[in-house]
Amino acid sequence: MHIIVYLCAGLMLVCGVYAVMSRSILRSAIGLAFSSAALSVLLYAMNAPWASVLELSVCSGLVTVIFISGISLSHSPKMEIQREYQDYERSRHLPMLLIIIGVLLAALAIGLGDDEPQAAVSTALSFKEVFWNTRQADIWGQIAAILCGGVAVAVLFREERQEKK
Amino acid sequence: MTTILNICAHGFVLGPILVVLVCNLFSRDFARRHFIWFAGVGALWQLFSAIAGYVAMRSAEYNVFDFAVLWNKDAPGAAYFELTPQKFLFLFVIGLVAFISVLIAHRTIDFNRSSYTNLLMIIILGMNGMLIVSDLFSLYVFMEITGICCFVMIAMFRSRADLEGSFKYLVMSELASIFILSGLAFIFMKTGSLRYADLSGFTPDGLGGLENVLMQFALVLLISGFALKTGAVPFHSWLPDAHQSADTSVSVLLSGVVIKVAGIYGVLTIATLFNDLRPIRASLAVLGLLSIVVGALLAYRQNHFKRVVAYSSVSQMGYILLGISTGTPLGIIGALAHVFSHAAFKSTFFANAAALHEQVGTLEMDEMGGLEKQMPITSFSSVIAFLSTAGIPPTAGFWSKLLILLALWSSGQHVLAGAALLASIFTGTYLLRMQKKVFFGKPRPELADVKEIKGTICAAEIILTILTLGVGLCYPFILLYLRAHGLI
Repeated sequence: MHIIVYLCAGLMLVCGVYAVMSRSILRSAIGLAFSSAALSVLLYAMNAPWASVLELSVCSGLVTVIFISGISLSHSPKMEIQREYQDYERSRHLPMLLIIIGVLLAALAIGLGDDEPQAAVSTALSFKEVFWNTRQADIWGQIAAILCGGVAVAVLFREERQEKK
Repeated sequence: MTTILNICAHGFVLGPILVVLVCNLFSRDFARRHFIWFAGVGALWQLFSAIAGYVAMRSAEYNVFDFAVLWNKDAPGAAYFELTPQKFLFLFVIGLVAFISVLIAHRTIDFNRSSYTNLLMIIILGMNGMLIVSDLFSLYVFMEITGICCFVMIAMFRSRADLEGSFKYLVMSELASIFILSGLAFIFMKTGSLRYADLSGFTPDGLGGLENVLMQFALVLLISGFALKTGAVPFHSWLPDAHQSADTSVSVLLSGVVIKVAGIYGVLTIATLFNDLRPIRASLAVLGLLSIVVGALLAYRQNHFKRVVAYSSVSQMGYILLGISTGTPLGIIGALAHVFSHAAFKSTFFANAAALHEQVGTLEMDEMGGLEKQMPITSFSSVIAFLSTAGIPPTAGFWSKLLILLALWSSGQHVLAGAALLASIFTGTYLLRMQKKVFFGKPRPELADVKEIKGTICAAEIILTILTLGVGLCYPFILLYLRAHGLI
């Protein structure tokens, strides 16, 4: 089981770095989706199935769809950002760093054996109780986040349309 | 009284959402033309709710008021919001600075006005949420919302070339979030809860050597994260760029309230919850002193009006951190008093910046001079703000700095008190240089046609000047009130 955990952690790291370093926004979004998918497997392996489901559906699924829709709507700035990004010299040592981290993770996986990972804090509460009872304050946070995201997209796209005119 | 308190408390959550909904019910053109009314009502609602709520809480003799919005807080394990007297001060400052921001925005913002209203309300909701939650993770959630709103607000009025400041803010803000989230994960792993009620009784006594180190590491991460949000040295690099890039109506929000709620309030919460851990206090003292000295030295080298004010914020945050580092009630009161004073005098400086930008067309100090007679209200309000920043009586800044210095002295930190006192001379120096370059000296012939600003920005300058002087003159009575209630 530890092997899955460290494999997913490594995959998450590689996909995350790829998302940041990629010259194409579309590939960055796909890298981010793979990173989220790896995190979902990691959460499931670490006995957090509900968190895994939410991560997979929201972060890996919904957010990727929004990103790709946004990218397809803003074709011109994407190209511009790509051109700007090419001016920066990318770190040549990054792959080496990733290989070292990968080796360390693999060594840890082998060294720690094959025990079942346990959650650091166990709770007897069901998902329903946690979501609707103990974390209710965060629901207002989610409402604010949705409002903020909606306004942010509207503002940035509206500005884009003005620039095009 | 409890009913009034309940209305005010619910209004902190529902008020901003309601304004967003109502604003978007109208056509975009209507919302754009009348944005000052929507945003102004939202800001004033916050301001008066904070005042009315505090009075109601004191009258009903509550020390802590727990409430929930749309759910039953008495169910076992249910989340709840909580209000305390010190939170009302932050809520009041949010309302005040938001109102000043609206007054400035009325002159400075030409497009995206309805979006400004929406974002202002969401940022108010985010900051209110940070203040009233009773759980560290919920605090993180609302902090993220505040951060994202800030990023969009900095970016929304500028061309692509000026996005650097907002991008820097986003990167540093996310770095702070990573620190804070990692710290919370470590604390949750060790304590099994992130609720204030569960953490306030926590002591590291039962922990083993390694666990204690982990706990200390978690606290270092949390303090670093919140210090990043505060803009304290050495985490200050984002602050001047963000302030310079943003529209002045957004800069005033950033400097006047966001760095305090997202940063200082977070530090205050951690310091209060984990007061037994001495290294926190020591690290806050180091961060505070570094911020005061380095912020003042860097401010002296700037030639852009808003950059001087931004570095001044870095320096002034140092005083607040020093006050918190004492861990005494007097130190905390001094820090809170400086939160208010700083909000007032820093908002004045940004109102001055807006006035100068509108009338002179630049904020480069080398291109200004001798504007004292042409812009008497701006000049006078700037001098009052300078006196308050430098801690000169009878302004509000004098009293808050005095309380912090007294707290440092009485808690035995004589060296820090002396160093903070000496550093205030630097503050006076760089602000004096700014005043001389902008308002005094020989008038420039090319600026002969410049006239005093009128309208809402002028109103903002007058309101803030009256507030800085009025609160400064009333401070003896405030101190007597605090003493009567056994707070000092």
